[in-house]
Amino acid sequence: MLVTPALLLAGCERMLNTLLARDPASPQRLDAMAGSRLLIRFEQPRLALLMAFHPSGVDLLRGEDIDETSADAVVELSPETLSEWVSGSSVERLMFEGRLSVRGRIQLLEATQALFTDLDIDWEGELANWLGDIPAHSLAEGLRRAGRWGLRASNELMADVSEYVFEEAKLLPGRQQRDVLRDHLSELEISTDRLEARLNRLHRRLTQRLSQGDSGS
Amino acid sequence: MSPTEKHTTHFGYEEVPVDEKASRVADVFHSVAARYDVMNDLMSMGIHRLWKRLTIERSGVRPGHQVLDIAGGTGDLTLKFSRMVGPRGRVVLADINASMLGVGRDKLMDNGVGSNVEYVQANAECLPFPDNSFDCITIAFGLRNVTDQDAALRSMQRVLKPGGRLLILEFSKPENPLLSKAYDEYSFRLLPRMGQMVAGDAESYRYLAESIRMHPDQDTLKAMMEAAGLDRVEYTNLTGGIVALHRGIKL
Repeated sequence: MLVTPALLLAGCERMLNTLLARDPASPQRLDAMAGSRLLIRFEQPRLALLMAFHPSGVDLLRGEDIDETSADAVVELSPETLSEWVSGSSVERLMFEGRLSVRGRIQLLEATQALFTDLDIDWEGELANWLGDIPAHSLAEGLRRAGRWGLRASNELMADVSEYVFEEAKLLPGRQQRDVLRDHLSELEISTDRLEARLNRLHRRLTQRLSQGDSGS
Repeated sequence: MSPTEKHTTHFGYEEVPVDEKASRVADVFHSVAARYDVMNDLMSMGIHRLWKRLTIERSGVRPGHQVLDIAGGTGDLTLKFSRMVGPRGRVVLADINASMLGVGRDKLMDNGVGSNVEYVQANAECLPFPDNSFDCITIAFGLRNVTDQDAALRSMQRVLKPGGRLLILEFSKPENPLLSKAYDEYSFRLLPRMGQMVAGDAESYRYLAESIRMHPDQDTLKAMMEAAGLDRVEYTNLTGGIVALHRGIKL
């Protein structure tokens, strides 16, 4: 029972540290954060997690026994708020909405968010460790080329399909045709309004004349 | 009756003169030092890393603390502690065995650990530090190799600061008889063979298995810690009691 959460935390810690080690910008950010401790308390389920930053990564520890005063910042949040925070929502916005309660150094929260959301993994460097520099570069170059080709091919396909649907088969109206139709409809609307006003005026005059004729006789 | 009075002590299942145990334990660790980490991973199937992780979680160590890692061996705990105490803190890696200390120092240096770690070759029974000097003391899988364990606990209590924590991670007695049986089979039949294959030394690993059986059980060790002057002593069984983590506080 005791060992399972420790195993999960150990796995997460290893994964995070491996990812951080592959990001060229991380060492600088970690140096600035080294020695800081962030205590995260979840409301549901009740869990506490301590993130202790050091120059080569982050240590994850269970925080139930940890004294709050030993952490530089304490955050209390629900799992939904955590997912929003990790996906890049601003700390201030979440705080003003009352979904995030923070005590201590708020800058540490922003630094943590930047560390994990701005990860730019050097996959080519990792491949080079396994395959060697030249094969890794050729493979990465091949993948990049395939990616570019895929993007270009999908753009061309979209263009061809839209041309067929709008121009050749005329299955759907194109934007230009829709604009022309809208202009015509607006003109028609204006003309009918005008006609309606005219009719109203004629009706009014007719009614006046009729009423004058009645009073004269 | 203490081991000094009867002039012999146990070395695994053997009775040896008190003066001889330290040197015979030293021989065992000289012989296994180079492959200690590999064997630990193999013997415990990697679970020793989780046991040590739990010890770190329970230690309550924070930046600026002074930590003593006795019988620190190849420095697994020291590595984590050095990151946790930061540049203002200090971690002392102490081991009675020069070979183990050498392996530990090399490993820590390879991991970029530097200025906040000191290496001291010391006997746990008479620690060469002033009274009240450490916030936390850990001894992981080391106490059973100490000749006079009561003296070692008293010595640790002496160098611990008031409010400081002593954590002892050590093999213990499994609670479940079935697990106990399986564990006996594993440690007396499989372990020496693995030792022979990987480290080329079955005898040392037979000693490890025997010394585990001779080590005091959970409640006896708890009583020993209380007798040495530690308060609020509690223990947690890990992996069904194969290992127990004892924690005491000096008040």
